[in-house]
Amino acid sequence: MALLAAITIASLLQEAIYPPQINGQISMKPVKVFNAKTPRQRRKQEMGFLNFNMTADLTPLFTWNTKQLFLSLEAEYENAQGVNNTIVLWDRIVRRPEDARVNVVGAKNKYAFKEIGGKGFSKGAAGTASYALKYNLMSYVGMLRYGEAARLSDVSFDVREEL
Amino acid sequence: MFTEELKAFRRLGFRHVLLQVLNFASVIASGLMIWKGLGLITNTESPIVVVLSGSMEPAFYRGDLLFLTNPPHERYHTGDITVYKIPGADIPIVHRVMETHDVSSPVKISGLDLKVPGEQLILTKGDNNHIDDIELYQGLDWLERKHIVGKVRGLLPYVGYVTIAMNDFPQLKYALLGILGLLALIQRE
Repeated sequence: MALLAAITIASLLQEAIYPPQINGQISMKPVKVFNAKTPRQRRKQEMGFLNFNMTADLTPLFTWNTKQLFLSLEAEYENAQGVNNTIVLWDRIVRRPEDARVNVVGAKNKYAFKEIGGKGFSKGAAGTASYALKYNLMSYVGMLRYGEAARLSDVSFDVREEL
Repeated sequence: MFTEELKAFRRLGFRHVLLQVLNFASVIASGLMIWKGLGLITNTESPIVVVLSGSMEPAFYRGDLLFLTNPPHERYHTGDITVYKIPGADIPIVHRVMETHDVSSPVKISGLDLKVPGEQLILTKGDNNHIDDIELYQGLDWLERKHIVGKVRGLLPYVGYVTIAMNDFPQLKYALLGILGLLALIQRE
């Protein structure tokens, strides 16, 4: 118990230092949009399909108290009805500093990119979406911390015909 | 075996025993007050929860202690780990937010009532699960703020195993309570 308390205090002291800034890169083609549905849905709706590259070196985030990093690529956009959407499209759990150099080439979205209103991906105020690589730094003992490792703004939607 | 203790007990007298009972009660009462006070500060009904399942591994394991807050005016973000309780379900669930949809003007989304600005629709998923939680929502399509108990802010591993052990072996719970009660009665101070 005393040991755990000591570790907690040490980790809190260490967490007071802000995590280092990470400068990663994302690149992608315009996001293809088809009218489609997943097997669990009844109605069709607009779905986006990504093809992206991403590099980031997250090794500076690892310390003695780091249990894991949760990485997620998320899309942020406003749709035609004025709903601000943030959707996680890809994620990865990194548990060792050796694996913390992310280099993703030609990847597709892991989770469905669905428009909540059924259609209107590109009909929002901006007509485009931003994509960001976010991380959640988790310690063995202590607080959860969040940060952003890369961002790409103004990616257009490429609306296609029926699939 | 207990003759010595019994003798001591008799010597202390009736008033002393009553005093010890009162002391014991005040310990329990202050414990409850600390719990309720913490809940008031953090704005959640349970500021500390114990992880009961492996659906968030390797982030959280069974027996980890989680500390929650629920600031009333803060929106939830993707990547946040929330604890939510669906009406009708008996156990709160600890899962990560995968989608947020913030309503900025009144909007009608199919299958839902009219949503007004400030409301947020949320979809969650366990890190260790392959699919999102819609199956767990008991007929709801989206999670809303009212279902969420709090956001996980920090963790302390293993400590919560005591409560899991007590749930799995109720005898342990009664034995522990009995020993504590006996100690409180016998101890002189």
